[in-house]
Amino acid sequence: MKNGLTLFLGVFATLALSWAGVLLTAQRQFGGLAQYKDPADESLNPAALSGIADQGRMVYQDLGCVSCHTQQVRREGFGADIGRGWGTRQSVARDYLREKTVLIGQARLGPDLRNAAARPYADAEYFYNLLYAPQSVAPGTNMPSYDFLFDVRPASDQPSPHALRLTGRFAPAPGTQIVPSRRADELVAYLLSLKDTYDYPEARPFVEPKQKEGGH
Amino acid sequence: MNSPDNNRLEQQEIDASAKWPVLTFLGSALCWLVLGGALQLGAALQLHTPAFLGGCEWFTYGRLAPAAQNALVYGWGMNAAFGFGLWLMARLSASALRHGGWLFVAAQFWNLGITLGVLGILTGASTSFELLELPRFVTVLLLVAYALIGLWAVSTFCLRNTEHVYVSQWYLFGAAFWFPWLYTVAQVMLFQAPVRGALQPLVNAWYVNGLYGLWFVPVALAAAYYFLPKILGRPLNYFYLPAAGFWCLVVATAFSGGSRLIGGPVPSWVATLGTVANFVAVPAVVMISMTLFGTLAGRYAALKESITLRFVFLGLLGFVAASLLNFALSLRSVAVLLQFTLVGELRDWLLFYGCFSTMMFGAAYFIVPRLTGRAWRSGALVRAHCGATALGLVVLTVTLLAAGWQQGKLLNDPAVPFADLTKAMLPWFTARSVALMLLAVGHLAFFVNFCWSVCPFGSAAEAPAEFHLPPAMSLPAKEGHA
Ligand code: HEC
Repeated sequence: MKNGLTLFLGVFATLALSWAGVLLTAQRQFGGLAQYKDPADESLNPAALSGIADQGRMVYQDLGCVSCHTQQVRREGFGADIGRGWGTRQSVARDYLREKTVLIGQARLGPDLRNAAARPYADAEYFYNLLYAPQSVAPGTNMPSYDFLFDVRPASDQPSPHALRLTGRFAPAPGTQIVPSRRADELVAYLLSLKDTYDYPEARPFVEPKQKEGGH
Repeated sequence: MNSPDNNRLEQQEIDASAKWPVLTFLGSALCWLVLGGALQLGAALQLHTPAFLGGCEWFTYGRLAPAAQNALVYGWGMNAAFGFGLWLMARLSASALRHGGWLFVAAQFWNLGITLGVLGILTGASTSFELLELPRFVTVLLLVAYALIGLWAVSTFCLRNTEHVYVSQWYLFGAAFWFPWLYTVAQVMLFQAPVRGALQPLVNAWYVNGLYGLWFVPVALAAAYYFLPKILGRPLNYFYLPAAGFWCLVVATAFSGGSRLIGGPVPSWVATLGTVANFVAVPAVVMISMTLFGTLAGRYAALKESITLRFVFLGLLGFVAASLLNFALSLRSVAVLLQFTLVGELRDWLLFYGCFSTMMFGAAYFIVPRLTGRAWRSGALVRAHCGATALGLVVLTVTLLAAGWQQGKLLNDPAVPFADLTKAMLPWFTARSVALMLLAVGHLAFFVNFCWSVCPFGSAAEAPAEFHLPPAMSLPAKEGHA
């Protein structure tokens, strides 16, 4: 390769083709995907996030929960995601239309959270306790404590209805109460929105064995 | 043709023109290496001792880990690549780096951008997209800085005074073009005019794959293609293999990003295309290894003589191991077990640290004495760095492989509660911290030695770290090879 021009053209073509072949093609294929209108009740799915949940998504983003948690359920037969109760079906592209930023993650130091709100035990109190003191609901875990999302207030104040009810070694010091801050409320609202229960037509064919081996 | 003496002189002029820009880039790179390594170690400690820095918002794992990653990749990695790339481009083009002051400005912009960006991540402005976590407000700084650096590299190449274009120059030239393009596309498609839904992870994967495969790997290979023939005083063995290897590697890498999304919420052709591309990369890796190891064949004794060679050799092993792992992880049967585990982390770490960073260590040991005109001050620190790096890498690789394997097995067994999984991982997390500590010791040794050697005061060098060069080498008939 004596010629700088040949080199330049090759270098240029390589990335141009990759960009067009991968990103543009994908954009044309499913970039225009829209919400699915239920034929029965005309509802649009997935429903958009509520305002507070969307704020919570940003808290999730700024605290970097994606370093430990994925948000993508793999299909039945490909890993144990469904067996672990992380979802009832695999995640499909349409599920993610509800979020402005899509953080599917790539490390599972903690469980998948795509359907965190669909767990039988998951309610607001569980999430608040988990964030304040992970050990109180999941002994031995290495999930960090997010106690800075909570305010410690004197208990003599009008007792807050939102104060955490913690016992044992996690209980607040006598005369104080632990009250979630605005950011904690937002984050929990987001966690409570995490469930993909709607059954899209495209979510079904994917689990048929014929399609799923379409790899190499 | 120039006589050897002329050449020698020319080289010295070029080195003199490159001195301050290159030393600035290498110096900043080293500061980031020490800092990033420390942050990374902090994050690793938290995984087995969650109370470490617990309750401190800035240093929770979710912020510390990306801050460390970005400090290492953009602070250490990019700065080192800039310093090395500019120096090599100037040497191989037999052309001085003109108006180096602008490069100095570029370095300030770049480092200001990274500093603000890493602080931004720690204070909660992260975007949470892998390797694009740096908040959006630093993008312009980085692009302006890069524009200057890239322009200098390319114009030095265009003004070359040589007839031949060396293999290393193909890689450097390609990398200089690909990075800004990848970065701009990712910024536009994720933040400026964001694509929707599951396309975002695809753009992210395309970028991450490109940054490693079309920036760091080419720069690392440029180092290998330059230093092996140069230090061994022996031309590359094969003539057509380097070109075939180059094109095969870059085309395959450009298309392999989708393989990171196996099983993900994207159409299956995305992952399949990535897997096919990774198959195509196999012959490329074979050709490149044949050329480079072929040059080394029968001359392994030279590793004892030159610290640069030792690091380059380590980097070559890293390249082969990372390529193998990347290939394995793009097979569905492997991904089902190891995707999302610590092995996924190992894949990128081997490329970035095992291959790229070790090559840059080697390069720095070669370049700095030629720029300052003085040998490295402490031979012991050089040996400590080399030993800590090699040992740390081995421990880290074995740990992450074994840990990831076990993690995958347990994750795929629905009967194992998550708490048990975390418990089973604890010893591995501890071992990982030990390995990172070893690497950090190496960083410190390197840093201290660098500052000491560059510092203009004090007595003459205590121990030459660049061991004796074979006579054939000290007056190369022509810079480079092939
Ligand atoms: C160091 C890694 C780590 C980080 C960072 C982290 N988590 Fe976790 N998380 C875990 C682990 C491990 C568990 C599993 C606990 C158990 O059951 O043993 C968990 C469990 C959870 C659960 C319960 C899931 C279930 O199946 O019941 C939720 C919800 C959760 N995390 C949310 C978050 C949020 C929100 C953030 C960010 C603010 C976050 N996590 C950050 C490691 C982490």
